[in-house]
Amino acid sequence: MSTTTGLEVSPAPLDGAAVRRLTRRATAARAQTTLATRLGDAWGGLVSAAIGVAVAGGSLVSLREEVALAGAPVTGTTLPASLTSAALAVLALAGTVVVLARLGPVSATPAAAAWWLPLPADRRGLLRGELLRLTAAAVAVAVLLTLPLVLGGAPAPTGASVLGGLGWAGSLAAAAVGGTALLQSRRRGRGVADVAGVVAAAAAVLPAVAGTLGAADGRLLDVPTAGALPGWLLGAGTVAALVLIGQADRGLGRLDAGRLLAGGATARYAGASLLSLDTRHLGRALAGRDRPPRRSRRFRRARQPWQAVVAGDLAVLTRGRWQLGQLAVAAAVPVVVARTEGLGALPPAVWAGCLLGWGLAATAAGRPAREAQAAPELDRLFALSAAAVVRSRAVLPLAVTAVVCTLSGLLLGVGTGAAGTWTLLGPAVAPAWAAAALRGACRPDPDWSGPAVSTPMGVLPAGVGATLVQGVDVGVVGSLPLLAALLLGGPTPLLVAVQLAWSLLLAGAVLAQLGRRRTAG
Amino acid sequence: MRNPTGSPHLLVAEGLSVGHGGAPVCAPVDLRLGAGRALAVVGPNGSGKSTLLRTLVGLLEPLAGTVAFDGARVDERAAAFRRDVAAVLDDDAFFVSLTGREHLLLTARGHGVAAPEDVVDAEVAAFGLGERADALPSALSSGQRRRLALAAAFVRPARLLVLDEPERRLDAGMRARLAARLVSLRDAGTAVLFASHDPDVVGTAADEVLVVDDDACRLLAPAEAADRIAEL
Repeated sequence: MSTTTGLEVSPAPLDGAAVRRLTRRATAARAQTTLATRLGDAWGGLVSAAIGVAVAGGSLVSLREEVALAGAPVTGTTLPASLTSAALAVLALAGTVVVLARLGPVSATPAAAAWWLPLPADRRGLLRGELLRLTAAAVAVAVLLTLPLVLGGAPAPTGASVLGGLGWAGSLAAAAVGGTALLQSRRRGRGVADVAGVVAAAAAVLPAVAGTLGAADGRLLDVPTAGALPGWLLGAGTVAALVLIGQADRGLGRLDAGRLLAGGATARYAGASLLSLDTRHLGRALAGRDRPPRRSRRFRRARQPWQAVVAGDLAVLTRGRWQLGQLAVAAAVPVVVARTEGLGALPPAVWAGCLLGWGLAATAAGRPAREAQAAPELDRLFALSAAAVVRSRAVLPLAVTAVVCTLSGLLLGVGTGAAGTWTLLGPAVAPAWAAAALRGACRPDPDWSGPAVSTPMGVLPAGVGATLVQGVDVGVVGSLPLLAALLLGGPTPLLVAVQLAWSLLLAGAVLAQLGRRRTAG
Repeated sequence: MRNPTGSPHLLVAEGLSVGHGGAPVCAPVDLRLGAGRALAVVGPNGSGKSTLLRTLVGLLEPLAGTVAFDGARVDERAAAFRRDVAAVLDDDAFFVSLTGREHLLLTARGHGVAAPEDVVDAEVAAFGLGERADALPSALSSGQRRRLALAAAFVRPARLLVLDEPERRLDAGMRARLAARLVSLRDAGTAVLFASHDPDVVGTAADEVLVVDDDACRLLAPAEAADRIAEL
């Protein structure tokens, strides 16, 4: 058959699978790796994973033993551990769905978009390998993360309970991939990410509210125990996951190039951020586009340069797609940990819950500063010294962390008889977390030239680690008086005063250091 | 069988508004492009030429209006559309482990081109890639990568060829040869649509010129558009 370009063509060009094979063979022909090196890499990966599972499982066993020996809870515990576990599972699943939806989940690399998609080959055949790889990766990660939980979380794990737990994790992961891919093919990917985000926030907030209401009544929530789930249900779940994958596979032909390319760009950005251990870029990659503004802001109240900085930061924060939900989760996490039966009796666990929650708040509150760090010329727009810009940029994180920490403290104090002191603890610790937000946002890029430390799980770059902890370190150190309060049975006015003084001291030091750094830069 | 509307035009856009996030980047466009005709799109940087081309080939959704190819709504997912339309936009993406020649062979074979090696050899020579065609993309200069991307549009059949600033990163000699190739393609019956800032390429290859602007998008003859192109 002749064409207008003068080329003779066959009536049956290559199909999608053949195009994939052709590309793979051409790539493999040039690959530097041998079978032995691949086997070696696989073995090394397996050993690292096994060590990681063993360490995590051992920590869980140790935690269970500590819970058994623990004394009275710091605050009233009203949430059964099973309820918190279920909420955690929902949170993990919803978070997985959000990430999958952000990545596509099926996507095309820029090269595949440029060279595969314009071919008249069937798109389903071209993309099937991507869907299967993604499913296998999701199942493998889910199984690896669940293994320490099923081994160390139960007093006497049996073969059936371990296999059942792993089966559920694998099925849910496969169903998440299949479901999001199916919705992607029906152009509802963005919607599913939003819904999953709301579910994730609800999974943290609702138990916190329920636990607080229970504390007001002074009783443990009555949750019906379902016992072990029957095997047939796991079988049905697995079949449902396979059906979803099958349906998603059928819908691959409907995926359009623009979205495949956008997903590929996101996946590439996220992958590169992960490999370079730069969590700031990873967050940017997964956060997605901001909400389109309904109207342009006029910033009428910004009459001074510092007010313009604050107003700009506020606009950035409120336009973020996930920030408000993240703040709600941040306030809830310390409450859920403290109100959970067993965990609530361990002051270090409650402290860790506070660090986790308030760290999330600092991450959300630090977003405008991170944006400014990525575009430093914005800071030079105004007639403000570098130190004044840093001080202005601290206003919003301070306000946000103060609200979140105060809310957490208020909810923690319900039913303890010292609600006022608990509530005051929030604003007392907030300056430290606001400083953590700024320090984390303005930290330098990871330094890969530092010394490497050999560990049983492989070589760790110490220079990178020292950079990555910048920000969190101030939050952790700044919350040490809180740990003392928890170990002593609860906050006292003196401890609150110490906490406030310590937070302000650290915050002042961080602001001074950042101001100097920017002036020097 | 094809073109159920019976229109002599291969590509038809009516009241087409293009942009990002609901905001149009230029005035609405009406255009008709038939087989054996060449239309150049000109306009200053940021006027929306690339967005218009991406929308015309189905990579972006129109904000308003319609785009039809061969009488049917444009759907870049359809194999028939991809068989008929070759587009080289502003992408600079390659498989890192495939040589330039392998990229071209993949394209030719994927379109079922008979004697693909011969066709690829001819285009490698025509685009001056020579032995560099056997290098990995990372070892090519940006101009050579551009030549490679353009060559891919010529190793496959197409009824419509869409190019976004094809002269970019090409030397003067290559620009002239490219313009001549576009003319011969057009004369053989292929519809050619390209955005360009180069008055020589536009003057040589285009039958009509679409001037893209915020206020209005107008179709002009190349001679009428010459002054406008010179201003850009």
